[in-house]
Amino acid sequence: MGGKDAGLEIRGLSVADGDRWLVRDVSFSVPPGALHMVLGERGAGKSALLEAAAGLRREAKGSIHFGRGEASGASNADGATPRQRRLLAAFHPREIPAVSLTVAERLLLQRPPRVGGIALHRGRGRAEAKALASRVGVDALLDVPIEALRPIERRLVELAAAMTQEPAALLLDEPTADLGPHEARQFLATARSMAEAEKIPIVFSTTWPRDAYPDATAVTILWRGADPVTVPTNECTEAALVQRWTGGIGIRRAPSGPHTPGDTLLRVEGIIMEGRGRETSLAGIEFEVKSGEVLAIVGAPADGLNLLHDALLGNRVPRRGSIHFLGKEIMRAPRRHRVESGMTFVNPPIARDQSVPEFTVEENLILGQTHVPPFARRGSLRTESIRGNAVRALQDFDLLDVTPRTRFRDLSLGPRQRVLVAREVIHNPRLLVARSPAQGLSLTEQEYVRRTLILQCERGSGLLWLTEEPEEAMRVADRLAVMTAGRLVWIPVTETLTREAIIAEMSGAAA
Amino acid sequence: MMNAGRCRAGRREILANLLVVLALFAGTHALAIGSLDLNPSAWSAPWTGDVVLVSAGLLFLGLAVLLPLHAGLLNLAVHAQFLAGFAVGALVARSVAVDPGAQAALGLLCGALAGAFTGIVVAWLKQRFAIHEVLTGLLLSAAFAPLALAVAVDRVTPPALTIELSALTERLSWAGALKLPPSLVLAWGILLLSLAIALGLLFAHFLRTTVWGFEVRATGSNPLAAVATGMDVDRVQLTVMALGGACAGLTGALQLWTSPAVALERWPFPLGFAGVAVAFLGLGTVRGSILAALLLGAWLNTPYASDVLSRPLYGAAIAALLLLPALWTLPRLLPEHGAPRAIWRTRHRESL
Repeated sequence: MGGKDAGLEIRGLSVADGDRWLVRDVSFSVPPGALHMVLGERGAGKSALLEAAAGLRREAKGSIHFGRGEASGASNADGATPRQRRLLAAFHPREIPAVSLTVAERLLLQRPPRVGGIALHRGRGRAEAKALASRVGVDALLDVPIEALRPIERRLVELAAAMTQEPAALLLDEPTADLGPHEARQFLATARSMAEAEKIPIVFSTTWPRDAYPDATAVTILWRGADPVTVPTNECTEAALVQRWTGGIGIRRAPSGPHTPGDTLLRVEGIIMEGRGRETSLAGIEFEVKSGEVLAIVGAPADGLNLLHDALLGNRVPRRGSIHFLGKEIMRAPRRHRVESGMTFVNPPIARDQSVPEFTVEENLILGQTHVPPFARRGSLRTESIRGNAVRALQDFDLLDVTPRTRFRDLSLGPRQRVLVAREVIHNPRLLVARSPAQGLSLTEQEYVRRTLILQCERGSGLLWLTEEPEEAMRVADRLAVMTAGRLVWIPVTETLTREAIIAEMSGAAA
Repeated sequence: MMNAGRCRAGRREILANLLVVLALFAGTHALAIGSLDLNPSAWSAPWTGDVVLVSAGLLFLGLAVLLPLHAGLLNLAVHAQFLAGFAVGALVARSVAVDPGAQAALGLLCGALAGAFTGIVVAWLKQRFAIHEVLTGLLLSAAFAPLALAVAVDRVTPPALTIELSALTERLSWAGALKLPPSLVLAWGILLLSLAIALGLLFAHFLRTTVWGFEVRATGSNPLAAVATGMDVDRVQLTVMALGGACAGLTGALQLWTSPAVALERWPFPLGFAGVAVAFLGLGTVRGSILAALLLGAWLNTPYASDVLSRPLYGAAIAALLLLPALWTLPRLLPEHGAPRAIWRTRHRESL
């Protein structure tokens, strides 16, 4: 399938959106069979770079060269045109649609084997699909609908499906965003073996430096305001990579605690909940969160973390068990009731369900709080209170260049998350449920969000931190549990606790 | 004052809609003079009463589309609601023998309620079975059309849906049948138009200053966030569909007790859908819709409009022109693609 001349070279590439630069002067080359990583926070231009390489955006400056394309005369010294790039490269966006096709149907979608050019050749199609699926280890799932697969399985199926196009390069936009660290390693190892077998370059983007090891050969770092830089991974440790990315800002490695826990706020007992599709079910989860402490639960989203989050949000009702908040059963209570009782939620910055982009900052600061004083009285909004609340929140959260009337969608991701965190903590909740609240932010913003939430905890709130990132859990946790096989494994938070120890527990769940 | 939750129209959209209005007036005039071989000297200026009555009807229909639009619903059931109001109004007129004034009041009330009920049915079907409101709206419109015509066979009151174009010259003949002087008809038209404008302005005020309006805007802009922050999206959408349906139903019933039909009968596509044209020509805003209703009312009463609209081919071209603003207005007004589907999936995840 693969051509010997495959390779990708990007020379001085700049991409603009109107009069705004998305990417400026990026250069790197990827040899055939190599895995190249593009590292940057959300909004740094990773997607724009990959989309330009895939021919989905037109470059403002620079050129993109494919080894196989030039060998076949499809390219020249000026680089491949967008149309040629669309034919030569396969691009996978960050979100893969959950379609109802089976794995076999998806694998044959691009090139189904036909009889007489019309009818589908079922026998040969099945054999081809099985051969493709076995290359990524999902051959046992041929008849399973894509929407029922775990995120890693979906990614692997897409990886196999891309090979049917015989691309000159494969471009993956944040393929590890919805995976646990052990799953990310598994996926990237498979991607690298595919790249080597097909002799094609694979470029993927990520927000996590850890994804560079052990499979990527080089990393291009994008950071707003700084020149892009490419470093080979064999010349740079992960710590050094983080240092280069952040410019050496201080990242707190340990929580400010130990905190002194107070009364029990949340008690979860014997939760049993069936997973969707091939998602791991919850098999009797039990834990409690006390005031003034941080309980971190680490796990892959499909290993039960999403299910637990849904149960706490009130999106789904567990089949058995109980959830008590402040001594009252809330398992069947709607979200509104939970929020009114003093429970608040901070979701990942890119979650679409926590803000209204068309609203102003001051309106987003009162979302979910309009049915009680001081923001409303007798059904009418109280403009002065709303404005005052916004002014205070913007001052307290160091958003000095943002006004209450600024449209929320005009903010970048970091300030957006600050506004949302401000909304949740400003009325001093009893319990905060944070689900990867700093995911994809710049490291400075990540640190700000973490510190803010922990500060709230030190004021007496309980903090339940759900994350797929072991390091984040280690930084914040007073107590730590790993979600594995639908159960919690408790790990003592000590000085000697390592990320690898947590990942080892997590991968036990995936086995 | 809080900002409206919807995208504001850009200059390009405003300019495009102004060009549509200009093309409507100029094009109709040019067609009438150039192609139809008619005598402009025989045309007379539109009667103010007709303009006022027609504009009131158009504005009510525009509000029927506009209110649900702010909560993220495209109310193409507006024609079904209009027909339901007309049919129920006709039934009241046929079966309730009371004082004409009381009969009119009862008919209008029942028409509005019928429209509201139709709106509620559409919203309920969406919530319960995830059937898109556009599909339900079109199906109900098709189903109600013969029903409305069947009810209107016995002409107890001046028939609106079956009026002949030749009767246009006998302006206000129906007023004579009801023993109403023209001045009173004009006053009644002004009252109706004032009511429609007041309703629209009240809605705009409520959107900006009340908790209910905040919830409507949040639901329309991002239903996922609205659900997540504890708003009852189902209730909000049910309410706006009921209110919108009531406006359309009222317009349907008004066909029996006023005579906007004299001019509205010339409308080039099913009358209820006039609301879609008004709302989109008004860029999804209340002020814009008021202006659009007045302009369309005036245009519809120009003498050459009736001549041009009597030709099916020209009528089709004008219908296309009237619906053109939907192309650039609709994508800006409806919530992010996939959000309603995502809500449905959140509630029915167990089905996987």
